[in-house]
Amino acid sequence: MTSAQNGVVYSKKICMLGTFGVGKSSLVKRFVHGIFDDTYLSTIGVQIYEKHLGPFPGACSNELNLVIWDLANIEKLTSATKTYFGGAAAAIVVFDLTRHQTFDEKRIYLQAFRDKNPRATYIFATNKSDLFATHEVPAPLTALAKSYAAPCVRTSAKTGENVARIFQMLGESLLT
Amino acid sequence: MDEYLKQILKTKRIGFAVFNENLQLLGHNFRFTAYRMPADLTPQPSLWQLFSLLTGSEETIQAIITGRKSEYTIEKVNSLDPAGRITYHNLTFYSLPSHVNKSERLLCLIDDVTTQAALEQQIRQKNYEIQLVKAQLLSKDQFLASGLLGDSEPIRMVREFVHKVSNHNTTILLQGESGTGKSLVARLIHNAAATTDKSPFVEINCAAIPETLLESELFGYEKGAFTNALSSKQGLLEAADGGTLFLDEIGELPSSMQVKLLTFLETMRFRRLGGIEEKRVQLRLVAATNKNLKEAISQNEFRQDLFYRINVAALSLPPLRDLGPDVIILAEHFMRVLAIDLKKEMEGFSPAAKQKLGNYLWPGNVRELRNVIERAIIFATGDIIDASDLLIMDDFADLGNGLTKNIRLPEEGLSLEEVERDLLNQSLKQSHGNQSQAARLLGLSLDTFRYRIHKYGLTPENYR
Repeated sequence: MTSAQNGVVYSKKICMLGTFGVGKSSLVKRFVHGIFDDTYLSTIGVQIYEKHLGPFPGACSNELNLVIWDLANIEKLTSATKTYFGGAAAAIVVFDLTRHQTFDEKRIYLQAFRDKNPRATYIFATNKSDLFATHEVPAPLTALAKSYAAPCVRTSAKTGENVARIFQMLGESLLT
Repeated sequence: MDEYLKQILKTKRIGFAVFNENLQLLGHNFRFTAYRMPADLTPQPSLWQLFSLLTGSEETIQAIITGRKSEYTIEKVNSLDPAGRITYHNLTFYSLPSHVNKSERLLCLIDDVTTQAALEQQIRQKNYEIQLVKAQLLSKDQFLASGLLGDSEPIRMVREFVHKVSNHNTTILLQGESGTGKSLVARLIHNAAATTDKSPFVEINCAAIPETLLESELFGYEKGAFTNALSSKQGLLEAADGGTLFLDEIGELPSSMQVKLLTFLETMRFRRLGGIEEKRVQLRLVAATNKNLKEAISQNEFRQDLFYRINVAALSLPPLRDLGPDVIILAEHFMRVLAIDLKKEMEGFSPAAKQKLGNYLWPGNVRELRNVIERAIIFATGDIIDASDLLIMDDFADLGNGLTKNIRLPEEGLSLEEVERDLLNQSLKQSHGNQSQAARLLGLSLDTFRYRIHKYGLTPENYR
């Protein structure tokens, strides 16, 4: 925590969760660097990004330094994965609108994340909306999102739809 | 000893640094500089300045400083080297006992694991690519098909209907012109209602299966039930247990089958052909037709009691011409999805193309639109689809020197089905049974052509 011009700058760690190929890295790269590359390159380990947000008028003009952990291979819950989860204030859980399986698979990582961070905030991002135009929240996600008090937001790393918005929503939620 | 240690650290590409209890940097080796020492930092930077990734790990680091925790490792942290290549490091923070040195409290080791991580990445990349391709193939049928595009009022009403009926296990009747997406809506209802991914969705086109086979297909049969029943077979009703049975073109169901279906729907019980055991299933029936069933009832082609049984929740699907600007939304969607399949980069439609799409009446509805877009993508020379790339039925008429425009309906009327059958027959003759060629002669996609010859029982082999 450091001082900013009008408020305080907080640092928070957030994790990108979701199975492989849903677009976690693409969303972060779109948000942090404003770029999109549709070549799929699987992540190994963890890639860490930083992004400064704010000031947030609704939160005493405080600012936020987001430390974003883009995680890989979290389907298999290892001790390394659990270490990655430690100390996170929030998670963006990403699903692929074009792969129904990503809604129904066992999400042991999500439970493990919650066990490690019981007070964390969540946002569910249904990604690749440029390929799938339905505006409905996929049925299998409705109950899950409710149990995590998570808003469901359609995103597209390709077009940028709602990408900044989910991080902004998360930022506001973390500071208020 | 120190020399050995230096040699080991050099060989293993390990960087290290030591911090005091206030987490100020006390010292480090050269390799650590390469990994973690930006030039503009103060001479004695803090651990937090060097490792922003430790945000959230304050308690863990404190536990290491105080000796309550011996080490903390973060594996395979990605970073870019000066040449822009991804490198991977394991970061480990060790507690240093205070009796060894009073000021040194925390040791940080940075181990370069790029070689093995890069290998792991390559293997995983291949594995994931295979899984993604498999998933895409599955989704194309199962899930992409379930999207309902558009913002027009008729489409909103369809969405509302789907939402309402998916909460109740009731029989549903979908009516609408050919190509309006009855199958798609049936799948959407199924997906919205399905509690698991394993709930079956079983689709059968009543017009596509010969009357003699329909009963065994639906109800299944026991071994020996008829001459070729060499083993028992589950029917589609059993296959749909726990899910949805979609009966397309129910208006074409033979009258003998109508009675049997009605009996089944009343009780949800049935017997396989030649079977004794009564079976019970739980399923949602969605029926669809492009026929006017009330008219069919008046002509004794469809049973009134079956109509009332399936007409519990009915929806008439709007034709594409009633959807206004949604035509463009649909066209853009098909362009994006089909361009991926056809491996072409497409940007969009020219204003003239959009106008052409909006002005046309689309008698073949969404199916026709999809085919037109597919053809346009194949033949478009650039990444923008222009009006001239969209070969719609009006253009086909022009291609035939206006031949079709000269066809006049005789006063006594005619059977459109007979005309269709005759044209299909002629195209097969002309192409000597070559289906692709015959489909081209009629301006149909191969799938549509196959569907139609199947409907009329025409066999290409007989024309060769």
